[in-house]
Amino acid sequence: MLPFFFFSLQRSDNEEQSGHGEQRASPARLPFGKKQLPPIPKNAAPITKPVTTGTPAQSANGTHASYGPFYLEYSLLAEFTLVIKQKLPGIYVQPSYKSALMWFGVIFIRHGLYQDGVFKFTVYIPDNYPDGECPKLVFDIPVFHPLVDPVSGELDVRRAFTKWRRNHNHIWQVLMYARTIFYKINTVEPLNPEAAVLYDKDVHLFKSKVVDSVKLCNSHLFDQPKIDDPYAISFSPWNPAVHEEAKERMFTYKRRPEDHHKGTQVSGLSWVKPGSTQPFSKEDGSPQS
Amino acid sequence: MASMVASGNRDGQPLVPKGVDPETCMIVFKNHWAQVVKILEKHDPLRSSSTLTSLSVINLTTGSSGSPRFGPIPGDEANAVQNYVEHMLFLLMEEDSGQAGAMGPILEFVVMENVMERLFVWSLRREFTDDMKLEQLKMYEMLVGQARQPLLHHKPILRPLMMLLSSCSGTAAPQVEAELVLLLNQLCCVLAKDPSILELFFHTSEDQGATNFLIFSLLIPFIHREGTVGQQARDALLLIMALSAENERVAKHVAENTYFCPVLATGLSGLYSSLPTKLEVPNEEWHCLHKEDWLKMPSLVQFLNSLEFCNAVIQVAHPDIRDQLVGYIYNGFLVPVLAPALHKLTLEEVMTTTAYLDLFLRSVTEPALLQTFLSFILLHRHESVHILDTLVSRINTPFQLGTVSLALFRTLIGLYCEDVMLQLVLRYLIPCNHMMLSQRRVVRERDCYSVSAAKILALTPSCCSPDRSPPPLRQLDSILFSKGAETPNSTRATEEDDGSGNSCTIGSEIYLDVSYLHYLYDARLSISGCIQACQVWSALYDGEDPPPEKYQPGVLEEPALTRTQMLELEWDDSYDACPVQTAEAPVESKPPQQPPAEPPKHIQEMRKTAIMLVKGTYIEENEFQDDVMVYDLVAKKDARDVERQTDCKSNLQNNNTAAAELGDDLLAQYEELIRTLDSEAGGKQVKTDAEVKKPVAPAAEVEEEEEEEEMDFTSFSAETPEPEKVQSPFGPKFCSGSVGRSHSVPFTGPFVSVLLSRMENMLSNSLHVNLLLTGILAQLAAYPQPLLRSFLLNTNLVFQPTVRSLYQVLATVKHQIEEQAASRKDFPELITAAQHWLLARETSFMAAGDNTPTSSPPPKPKAISLDRTDVFATVLFTEFLKELAAIAQEHSILSYIPMEE
Repeated sequence: MLPFFFFSLQRSDNEEQSGHGEQRASPARLPFGKKQLPPIPKNAAPITKPVTTGTPAQSANGTHASYGPFYLEYSLLAEFTLVIKQKLPGIYVQPSYKSALMWFGVIFIRHGLYQDGVFKFTVYIPDNYPDGECPKLVFDIPVFHPLVDPVSGELDVRRAFTKWRRNHNHIWQVLMYARTIFYKINTVEPLNPEAAVLYDKDVHLFKSKVVDSVKLCNSHLFDQPKIDDPYAISFSPWNPAVHEEAKERMFTYKRRPEDHHKGTQVSGLSWVKPGSTQPFSKEDGSPQS
Repeated sequence: MASMVASGNRDGQPLVPKGVDPETCMIVFKNHWAQVVKILEKHDPLRSSSTLTSLSVINLTTGSSGSPRFGPIPGDEANAVQNYVEHMLFLLMEEDSGQAGAMGPILEFVVMENVMERLFVWSLRREFTDDMKLEQLKMYEMLVGQARQPLLHHKPILRPLMMLLSSCSGTAAPQVEAELVLLLNQLCCVLAKDPSILELFFHTSEDQGATNFLIFSLLIPFIHREGTVGQQARDALLLIMALSAENERVAKHVAENTYFCPVLATGLSGLYSSLPTKLEVPNEEWHCLHKEDWLKMPSLVQFLNSLEFCNAVIQVAHPDIRDQLVGYIYNGFLVPVLAPALHKLTLEEVMTTTAYLDLFLRSVTEPALLQTFLSFILLHRHESVHILDTLVSRINTPFQLGTVSLALFRTLIGLYCEDVMLQLVLRYLIPCNHMMLSQRRVVRERDCYSVSAAKILALTPSCCSPDRSPPPLRQLDSILFSKGAETPNSTRATEEDDGSGNSCTIGSEIYLDVSYLHYLYDARLSISGCIQACQVWSALYDGEDPPPEKYQPGVLEEPALTRTQMLELEWDDSYDACPVQTAEAPVESKPPQQPPAEPPKHIQEMRKTAIMLVKGTYIEENEFQDDVMVYDLVAKKDARDVERQTDCKSNLQNNNTAAAELGDDLLAQYEELIRTLDSEAGGKQVKTDAEVKKPVAPAAEVEEEEEEEEMDFTSFSAETPEPEKVQSPFGPKFCSGSVGRSHSVPFTGPFVSVLLSRMENMLSNSLHVNLLLTGILAQLAAYPQPLLRSFLLNTNLVFQPTVRSLYQVLATVKHQIEEQAASRKDFPELITAAQHWLLARETSFMAAGDNTPTSSPPPKPKAISLDRTDVFATVLFTEFLKELAAIAQEHSILSYIPMEE
């Protein structure tokens, strides 16, 4: 079984992991100067100095350059809300504080060969997203797996997303894929040939290697995050004084729509009977009758 | 005397006169009373102790006429009684109640001896002058207000009080009125605190055989009174209204036996008639009545007081009273008074009424009352034209009426009312006729990559590009998104640590438009507010709910207007709710085949004027007839509309071969437009004419064939369901030529079309008109309903060729601006000057506090005349693009945040 532990983000409360923090996380991105917006796409010429005079052609480009980071930022925000929406089992991600192009994640494997594995990873999104290549997914510790590079820890994502297609491919699919590989093992064109060969020839040895790998990963669980970032995912041993209350809240907290926009107490009006498209069709009737 | 002995708790009554103990007080009281009785009996004709029987036969009106029956009472005796009574009342007031709420000894004595009633009879017997009434009223006011024990529970006290009150009804003296209302107010306060007395009030009234619930009836005449008296009366009535919510009897009585509701509603009509019929408009910029405006108009203040009172009554009263009042307001004020006022003869009068209506809508907060006003606007027909249609058509008047009408619609849209939005916009979008059939799924699609925002921003005129503006206006350099600004070293370190060479923080220093962050922030607030408000709505309006097929237009309308009536709709035919009728309505350009009569002359006149206006030759003619203004002030209609209808007609006749034979001009124009836009946007969407005609397949769809993965990731297209294979540009209904809606002409409704056509004229609109227009459009764009959102913001949606989209209009405006900029050398300087002035204007508003833009008009710009509407419009246009783009971007996030059930 899983050891007792608690993972948290260094600077945010636990709501963020379950995705509820999105509302709050994103305004935090907006204050000026604080947050580094992701860079502009490579194909748009970055302006390094304000151009005082320019030809129309340049300025049209300038419009894009000025807003490019906003498009990218919102594309990534949209991707993130999609991830939340999917409620992927056992997967948690959190964009980094410094760059929306880098997401920290952790995956919990609940059964199968890799049962009890807790693997931290980082997703790197190309800066010309969504027109670039598919995002990279790198495990903090290279898991023993045919599709995971034994040195870099990078997962072979490309075999599933040969060509990254905007509108069709989304980051949650990459995350989903990362989960799938631990349940359905593929040994074709492996990044880790040893693992592939073992799986095909000597499953017993493969299994024991996997167990060792899982143990190794879990033994490094409480290490400092590999990348220093306020939103990096870090684990700490279970400490009732710190975690009990948070756990309590997680189990009781239900976000209701009303809680969601405190301060803006606007209430709409409707006298339309559900299913009707006529104004004032509700039973309580119109005053003139 | 047992109670007196028992009541030893005198600690809490330091106010007992001169520290006298209750026993002494009692003795003093009795002595005084003995003296008083002596005098009373001396003048009592019956010399009987049974005053009770005598009282019941006293005619109060003769009593109040002031004729003494049995000879004059000497002044010194009257004074003596007065003095004794004053002292006695003081003692009564100061007395505490006995143990367990029992009466104090003095009160007990008062009740036993029927003191109050006898005193009242005494005052009747003397001359019952206003002074006398005043005296008695003050006496009770003091007692009710200051007594330490409840007095009103006792009939011997309540009865004479009621008699006094009823004797004061119909009094004219202002002093007496003031005192009467004050006392009534006090009584209501007591009632509100202790509703158990209520029954007694009713019973006492019954004894008299007079009106039930006297205090209520007495208050009614003061409902609409100005000043303190009116306010006190209204406050008192509100207390009773609140009481009615819990007390069925009061509610029933008020609703069935009193004229409360009719008085209230007709009072509104009366007060309305004393409002000025023409407002003195401070300046051209003026478009709605602000508080500082109406505070200067006493009659309007009075009206608003009464309206506010109605609002409050509806808020607290029993549903029966509420429903009755609302009904009277509808039938007694809105329909007979406001409707004709909205159709007055002169422009100024109509404008004034519109401004009043706007103010009333902003003043009313109670949903039931708002519903009354709104159903009046949406459903009532004045001379067979819906008020709403009339109001919408007035948006297009080139006069201040147009501006004021815009302001009214800003208010209406700001209510987040489903019924309003349904009638204004949504009902035209529900059938999804405005888009190509294959596009229906796009309605709900999410713009993940800010494509629409980018396309909107790409319309930024070259002269207004962010890097063209000089520093104080352009705040590009205020944020510096430099690489690892906070911890450059650690970032670098991690990059190095990351053996795979993954780096996420590349990026040189980028300059961003700071103002855009503000727009994003505002968009977020406005959309999330709107989303929350719309949670009470009945449907999602996403192209599926309500289902487009099931939409039955005009069910609430009267069935099928006759052709004659259509003509009488004065050019409003296209505005009619039912598209079927619209299609069959005569087209302007050629006279209808079988007209029963020529259109009325003034309508023909108006058309002429309108056509002139469209052609740009419109000169403000002084013979702009009053009768033309009567109820349809469509001063202008888009030439394109005429064209559109002709095209559609031929389109329908030719069925699916239509595409080739469609009105050449229009289609060519349309394609030309798309091509220009496309090259400007640098996009890669629509390239050739052929592609225009066939629905544009989204990228994902085109690439469908390239499917090759072994993993089943096709199912991952969560947001893009399998495309329909229907490829007909007009959908099956056009091909099949099926009956029913197949004949309908795609039309997004008069409101949208009027807004867009005013928008199209942005360059010639004055600044404040453009501010209102863009404000309204931005507010509309913030609505989360996919039908509306996709129509206004989704630049990828392919519409029917006859439907004009906001994006098209914006593109046209951009084109006009570019032309203007190219032809005028001084354009960039003028733009800068305009930007400076607008910025200064903004700051002066900020300094003056918000929402009072009329208080101190900013100094006239020096470098540029306000008449250069094109320049100001250009600046505004650029900002509006940012505003829209920000809204589009925020929609792509906010509308999709999952919520737990």
